[in-house]
Amino acid sequence: MSSELSALMSATFHEVGHAHLVELVHQKDRAARRRLASLRLSAYDADGGLQLDRALDPAEEILDVAALLDEPARRHGRLLVVFDARYDPEVFPYRPHHYGYLHRAESTAPPLYYAVNATLGGVPDRIGAVALNNFETYLFLDRPMSGHHAVAVGNLSRFAPADAEVVSYYDGIRHVETVRLMPKAHTEVKLAPEREGHRLRRVELKALFRMASYVVGRRAGGELVLFDHLFTYFK
Amino acid sequence: MLKRLRTWTRGLLGVRRDPTYYLPWLTRPGLDCVVLLNNIESRFTSGRQGRGLDARLTQFDSDGRVTSEQHATLVDSTDAREVRLVPAAAGYGFVTVEAPRIKSDLYVALADGETYTATHGRHEFIEHYPAWTRGVLAVVGALLAPLGLTVPVFARDQYVYHGAASRSHVLILNLSNVVNRVRLVAERNGARVGTRLVRIPPRGARLVDVGSLAPATSALTVEHLRLTGNAWFNLYLIGAGSEDLEGALSLMHVK
Repeated sequence: MSSELSALMSATFHEVGHAHLVELVHQKDRAARRRLASLRLSAYDADGGLQLDRALDPAEEILDVAALLDEPARRHGRLLVVFDARYDPEVFPYRPHHYGYLHRAESTAPPLYYAVNATLGGVPDRIGAVALNNFETYLFLDRPMSGHHAVAVGNLSRFAPADAEVVSYYDGIRHVETVRLMPKAHTEVKLAPEREGHRLRRVELKALFRMASYVVGRRAGGELVLFDHLFTYFK
Repeated sequence: MLKRLRTWTRGLLGVRRDPTYYLPWLTRPGLDCVVLLNNIESRFTSGRQGRGLDARLTQFDSDGRVTSEQHATLVDSTDAREVRLVPAAAGYGFVTVEAPRIKSDLYVALADGETYTATHGRHEFIEHYPAWTRGVLAVVGALLAPLGLTVPVFARDQYVYHGAASRSHVLILNLSNVVNRVRLVAERNGARVGTRLVRIPPRGARLVDVGSLAPATSALTVEHLRLTGNAWFNLYLIGAGSEDLEGALSLMHVK
């Protein structure tokens, strides 16, 4: 075991009414040697107000996020959920990964597996990045959709506010929406399915530093049908 | 150490690893499967040409047969092309994309006419075993199969979740030119609750219903799956609602 620990901060969002499970470490092995050294979970409301902060047992395999956060989410709405992990780089030579599972109660929509968003957490060397990692993009199918897409974005900084620029492309039409987020504040930027008769084809997210971000697809009634990470190309 | 041993063993066995970009595909009645080709990465990175990306898509069915070959060309770095995959055989498999000048991720989407779900492919490899190694694996694999065992060359661990209102299926892709016998063991709270040995033809695929492997005992049951195969394989997760494979589906990559 190394005498130095590395850190990973990862993040997701939680809405009340969803079964929401997150594995603490994806790279499980039969002897359960691959575990984190420590893990802390904190949850924040849309304004960045801390609603829950607690240490988790790294020996646990699956965290029931809904059991932990449904009650504050009922009072405060959607929450930004931050996982602050310490791990031995000899155990995880790249970094730990973890995946989540989302399914709204009584929904006919399929459950969604997703990769929990790694957000650097101050250790870019552990994630293979040599430059600022603050530009992400995502493409959409060219077909009508019942419902809409959005970008869920949260500012994970401790002190600094951030302007997150969400640029959406509709063939030749470019639309920019900038949101200012205080530390740990978050929002969901809705993307119009069409502009001037052209469908949404691509979105970019730009900020001074890495945000917690997901592309979200919702049916007309708000049910989640897509919850996916964007793609970063500056590494 | 283990990595070096694996490399050394592959060399001894004459195994070749051909770099390959692949994505899963799955078609059902009323559900389109589409690969979204793009070269957007070249717009933001230096040293890669942004224009004229030619791509060849080769679609393999669940038995490893080539069911279609399609070509597409992107005009420039902001162009994107949708390639609809052809329903064939059991309705699933994987598709490889040969596009030498692209390294970024491509998407595969399942669209039901109202919405769609999407995930990305993997730039990994397909293993090619020489004839004698294929023969040895075939003999040893056939001897172990009646015992429900396989030659344990590769293993993957995966958590899956299922219940009455949500189902999970594991799409296992055989990324080699040998018959891959993949053993699945489902464990719940450390206790074994189901095992199955799946025989996958070269470059083929199999879809395993987690509920049939280990029936759910609660509204949402957590299973730990351990998959062990005699050659390289990967998996994708298919999420289904109460209508199971007849309804809308989601698709997700895992490490």
